[in-house]
Amino acid sequence: MNSPPLVAPIFPAGKEPLPPGFSEEEREQLMQAKKYQAWTNMGMESCVTKSVFAGGGGFVIGAFFSLMSSSFAYEDPLLRQNLSTRQKASEIFKEMGRGMWKSGKGFGKVGALFAGIECVIESYRARNDMVNPIAAGFVTGGILARNAGPKAAFGGGIAFAAFSAAIDLFLRRETPEED
Amino acid sequence: MSFLGRSGSSSSNGVNQERMDMAIQELDMITDVFNRLVSSCHSKCVSPRYAEGDLNKGESVCIDRCVAKFFEVNKKVGEKLQNMGAGAAGGS
Repeated sequence: MNSPPLVAPIFPAGKEPLPPGFSEEEREQLMQAKKYQAWTNMGMESCVTKSVFAGGGGFVIGAFFSLMSSSFAYEDPLLRQNLSTRQKASEIFKEMGRGMWKSGKGFGKVGALFAGIECVIESYRARNDMVNPIAAGFVTGGILARNAGPKAAFGGGIAFAAFSAAIDLFLRRETPEED
Repeated sequence: MSFLGRSGSSSSNGVNQERMDMAIQELDMITDVFNRLVSSCHSKCVSPRYAEGDLNKGESVCIDRCVAKFFEVNKKVGEKLQNMGAGAAGGS
């Protein structure tokens, strides 16, 4: 709402100033639209949404990497010699698909876990600094390596924390001032 | 506009003037509280390094909590002052 400056934007209910170009009859619609907008923004900023988006992005990246690396795949030519060309091609594509799915799932898990945990830590601490990605990286690394024993989990946590610290240092670097 | 009109409505104008003063005082109080709240929560929650214009998640959470705490503190201090005032009035 556009209120005049130097005045606290607190108005009696139903008397907030309308933005230019809106009439009194559209006030209720405007209020409804504002309410939905506020809900949408809250949803977009929530930890669940961030985790889902990061998981989806991770899945896409993992699938893409697997697709690119399948061009380097080699195998025994005698493995499928009794199949027709069509069958061979279809089997190869199916294996590519399985590899993409597997790799995508792995990256997606990493992304979703990291984003979700970092968002939770940031909401808890109510601060935005370098501690959040480092701690989230440590926990994520630990969770991903949980089946390999405590020392491996600890080492994995440290490694992921260092990696995530490097990435966030890069993302938060001082960019040169553009004139 | 006419003398009659002015003299006739002078009494109701007096009551209106009181209410006007009260309304002006209340508006001043609200504005003062608002300004203090904004400046204290901004200095507490928003870091001095501006990488972008939007509030990030930590800052929005901090501001929510800051506003809630401000009003809680207001309320508590008001209650204590009330008790002190009542105690002093009762004692003396």
